[in-house]
Amino acid sequence: MPDRELNSLLKDVHWLMDILQNIDVGLVVMDRDYNISLWNQFMQNHSGKFPEGVLERNIFELFPDLPQDWFRRKCEPVFLLQSATFTTWEQRPYLFHFPHYRPITGTARFMYQNCTILPLLDTQGNVSHICLIVYDVTDTAVNKRAQIEANQQLQALSRIDHLTQLYNRGYWEQNLHQEFLRFDRYEIPATLILFDIDHFKKVNDTHGHTVGDEVIRQVSQCLREQLRETDIAGRYGGEEFGVILTATTQEGGLDFAERLRRTVEQKAIQTDRQQIHVTISLGVCELAADIKTEQEWLQLADQGLYYCKEHGRNQSRCYP
Amino acid sequence: MTAMLLSEDQRDCLQEIANVAMGQAADRLARLFDAFVVLSIPQVGILTPSDIAMTLESLRDQSSQNEPLTGVAQGFIGDGVAGEALLLFNGTRYQDLAELLKYDYHPNLNRELLMDTSNVLGGACLHGLARQLDTHLSLGPPHLLDPSDDIDRLLTQRDLDWNSAAVVEINYTIEHYRINCDLLLVISENCIAGLLEKLDYLID
Repeated sequence: MPDRELNSLLKDVHWLMDILQNIDVGLVVMDRDYNISLWNQFMQNHSGKFPEGVLERNIFELFPDLPQDWFRRKCEPVFLLQSATFTTWEQRPYLFHFPHYRPITGTARFMYQNCTILPLLDTQGNVSHICLIVYDVTDTAVNKRAQIEANQQLQALSRIDHLTQLYNRGYWEQNLHQEFLRFDRYEIPATLILFDIDHFKKVNDTHGHTVGDEVIRQVSQCLREQLRETDIAGRYGGEEFGVILTATTQEGGLDFAERLRRTVEQKAIQTDRQQIHVTISLGVCELAADIKTEQEWLQLADQGLYYCKEHGRNQSRCYP
Repeated sequence: MTAMLLSEDQRDCLQEIANVAMGQAADRLARLFDAFVVLSIPQVGILTPSDIAMTLESLRDQSSQNEPLTGVAQGFIGDGVAGEALLLFNGTRYQDLAELLKYDYHPNLNRELLMDTSNVLGGACLHGLARQLDTHLSLGPPHLLDPSDDIDRLLTQRDLDWNSAAVVEINYTIEHYRINCDLLLVISENCIAGLLEKLDYLID
């Protein structure tokens, strides 16, 4: 080969090596036994391990914290199928634990990583080595997480009534609909309770709206404390509440209603000047096959509630 | 118009190549999994975006009407041809996938199982196809479809820069496991020139 050509070839190789060294992704070449034969600057800088200390050594011995089984599962198909495999931070946040290094704008404790594992062929066309490429995807991961969190918060906000921390009417009604359909399909019993605070208007007129709000908050708290995991409670109107008791018959519903009624009755609500007591009236209705719509179900529970109002309040009534 | 994208000869040639490539891929997969992989004959069609949406819908219908599509999308590109591989897993039991891939099953593992399977299946098929075409395809990272990726909306309610695409569809099942995947290779009309050239070369 003439000198000129050789020089130009050397220059090309030199450039390529420079690029491999300085590119801002991690590059590691390993043989069939996971011994390292290339370790670029990115890997050196983030791991603090120099090429002299890692070359020809086994990656799992150098990095005992590597998820060995997991990583081998990703590499073995590359050797066998001669095609690349990929991992994302969503499967596992990182392969190498590299501390995050930007003191001001760094928002994560460690570097999130995506990896690509490429086959490298020898002259016979067999995969003699694999090349691991490590990408820093910290910013993407942090943004995606923030987005998911924001969406969850928005969703919660759109479902929760601010004053009572119960579901708002819209979301509660959706649940009522779902429960109604579920009964249609599986005939698991479900009981609905509608209740409201007796003489609430008088509380408002006598003590003012701030106290009125406090009363609503305290009654909601009594309700929340009594709820089971599967019960669905919402604020239906101003001082009116709905509770869907899943897998509960009328008897269980009445029991729930009476317990709540007694708790509220005994509760002393502290205001600035005095303690006040309120009571509630509750209508209870178990879902049955002859109830054709969720509206009808609501109306029946409401009739139970109306009966209590007519007959002295501070009581529970099953309907029909 | 859409029928013009591939001539009959080109279509037959693509089907034949896909068939050979997938056969080879299945052989490698069988060795990796130590299980028998059953492949359908690849179907080659020229489809519009809404045809593709309908195809996806029909694949879903067989098992899970209301559930979102479960699958992985992976881009590939090389030598004047580019496209996207969609690997869809409707009708697959995760427990069976776990067993095949030799994991102890746990519901948190689902993402891992889908990624591993698509690494292997998608990789093997595209690699096989590239070999038959005597070219090299670079694969992009697989992207797990989540419910926010509304493929139907992406296909039908957006201004796409293509009207028709060559679609190769292959169905995989694995004997003695409830694993059913459909692989769709979608090569849109504006990224197909390199493929046509290679097919013509093979036909002559």
